[in-house]
Amino acid sequence: MTGRLTFDAIVVGAGPAGVAAALTMARGGLNVIIIERGRFAGAKNLFGGVFYTHALADVLPDYWERKPPFERPVTEQGYWMLSPDSAIRVMHKSERYLKEPADAYTVLRARFDPWFAEQAAAAGALLITRTTVTRLLKDERGRVIGVDTDRPDGQVYAPVVIIAEGVNNLLTQQAGLIASDLPPKYVALAVKEYINLPAKELQTRFGLSGPREGVAIDVFGDVTLGLPGTGFIYTDQSGISIGVGMLLDEFVTHRLRPYEVLERFKNHPVVRPYLEGGEVREYGAHLIPEMGYDRMPKLAGDGVMVAGDAAGMVDALHREGTNLAITAGKMAGETALAAHQAGDFSAAFLSRYRRKLEGTFVLQDMKQYRRMTDFLESSPQFMGTYVNLLNEAALRYFTAHGIPKRTMEHEILKMVRERRSFTGVAWDMLKLMRAMRG
Amino acid sequence: MHAVVAIKQVPDTSNVRIDPETGTLIREGVPAIVNPYDIHAVEAAVQLKERVGGGQVTVITMGPPKAAEALLECVEQGADRAILISDRKFGGADTLATSYVLARAIEVINAEQPVDIIFFGKQAIDGDTAQVGPGVATRLNIPLITYAVAIEEFDLAARRAVVHRRVEQGIEVLETTLPVLLTVEKEIAPVRHAPLPRLIAAARYQPEVWTATSPVPFDPQQIGLKGSPTVVGKAYTPAPRSGGDVLSVAELGLDAVVARAMAVIEQAHVRNLQPVTGVVS
Repeated sequence: MTGRLTFDAIVVGAGPAGVAAALTMARGGLNVIIIERGRFAGAKNLFGGVFYTHALADVLPDYWERKPPFERPVTEQGYWMLSPDSAIRVMHKSERYLKEPADAYTVLRARFDPWFAEQAAAAGALLITRTTVTRLLKDERGRVIGVDTDRPDGQVYAPVVIIAEGVNNLLTQQAGLIASDLPPKYVALAVKEYINLPAKELQTRFGLSGPREGVAIDVFGDVTLGLPGTGFIYTDQSGISIGVGMLLDEFVTHRLRPYEVLERFKNHPVVRPYLEGGEVREYGAHLIPEMGYDRMPKLAGDGVMVAGDAAGMVDALHREGTNLAITAGKMAGETALAAHQAGDFSAAFLSRYRRKLEGTFVLQDMKQYRRMTDFLESSPQFMGTYVNLLNEAALRYFTAHGIPKRTMEHEILKMVRERRSFTGVAWDMLKLMRAMRG
Repeated sequence: MHAVVAIKQVPDTSNVRIDPETGTLIREGVPAIVNPYDIHAVEAAVQLKERVGGGQVTVITMGPPKAAEALLECVEQGADRAILISDRKFGGADTLATSYVLARAIEVINAEQPVDIIFFGKQAIDGDTAQVGPGVATRLNIPLITYAVAIEEFDLAARRAVVHRRVEQGIEVLETTLPVLLTVEKEIAPVRHAPLPRLIAAARYQPEVWTATSPVPFDPQQIGLKGSPTVVGKAYTPAPRSGGDVLSVAELGLDAVVARAMAVIEQAHVRNLQPVTGVVS
């Protein structure tokens, strides 16, 4: 091969973080290559399904005219708290969700990611798929100067590399930005199915008046056998995304098989009727980095930055990740543009990226909920005891037994005392508040 | 050296299901790939070019606009030029119409730059007819070698080549003049992992698009549905064969089992022979 393949910037991974970075840099006039190991952008990606548009609007102000492949706007959302045979459902529906474009849409990544990557390609970024970056190339002083791939003549050089490799953060480790693999305590495993249903039938079941309405439900309690974790049910255009996510640790400790947990969820008496007659069209599993703010990698080194799942940019409590990734990708891209202008790709210069992020919801939210993962793991009663208790209480409350109401109230309180003492409850609430306030 | 490779984009039939009601392929949601034999044909052409120290590999396909993806994959594998023959008027073509279009296209390419060898995959995995390659050779009136597995000699100056072809009993070694058309087995050349610079070249490449009228006019009577006399009478999924009887030697004894087995064989044999005996008598 004659000459080196040289670009202004290399992006590893064509997920939301990588594409946002590439798009930002290409629009800024840089010659950018995105290297993606999957057959197409998004081939390796999976998520529950709610996508928030604010971050996209930041990167691509005219995204709506470019017809993004959204499934349904989220016009009703809330929580189901399952006990083994019941559910308390708290849903919020509002006319104010009915606007275009909406704040949130359900999305299937196999459709969305290729569209997003196309926008970057249209801006001039070069997308190379089916190619795995195997290692970072460094100069004698340890600065990152490019990447090597699994292709013949596969070395590419650039003064700055943005790692958006996803949860399996091998390059981030190689860059020296994080010390080791994520411990299973801080990685969640999500399994999901896409179940096909005719749009009309779907709308009837979920009480939707048309294709411009959709539901997003987070599910707690029995869905994870009372263990820390959540389930979700989202309506797509003509189908349902349903899944469960739990920390890897919990699967291991309790010897649970992810697909059995999902199967159990699908067969819950409250859930089953929604799925009846649907055909499973896709299933998948993916890891989610939930290491939280305190265990995030360093975000920049000499000639290198990291964004998205690789950097642990996930707000598990609010099931957000894609929007964090897009915003972070944009900030990394802007930092690379500034670095090109200054001709300075040192860690010191690129650390502006982190400072930019500190000014956004990305790091502020992550900081606020830094204790959430630890809290949930140390307080399993939130997903188990309390949810069951609420369902029991509701059952008493809503059933007339010919018992005086005063007696019923006493019974409910007695139940609370038996399952978790009042001081226990008070203590839990205090812990929850602390975890929420960061 | 100038090689032309004709390829086809096909649904990945390892994922394909048949609709039991209509008997047709369910193509929805099935990824499209370069016909597996065809990518080996491209590789064989590229390796031949390397062997003779240079030349050009031109890849052509007839198909919908989406088939451009398949051409780009061939450019990644080392093709120098890619032509997409695409027009609604070509739709519904059977193997006769397809071989007309490809032969005509190759004639035009040959007029621009003489063609020494033409490669086809041995068959497409969606139709499995193996007719288009031989059809093109017939129309061009050049030698045809089907099921080629190796090119032993290739002498441009002497205009001759020696090619191995797979037959049921083994390998046939054939000598041919050039130009020749080969339909190839996968053994003709293992597909190499394309180098990164080729991927980059392909990502920036735009295949030429030929329509039914431009830059070459095709005979409207011979293309698309009009040029396709083939009629699909019926397509169906054969019922799965039922399992045979299981005879237990322990229960019935060896002799009884053998006798029963022989009776079944004889019965089947006689039934098969009946029409023949009819003719003889």
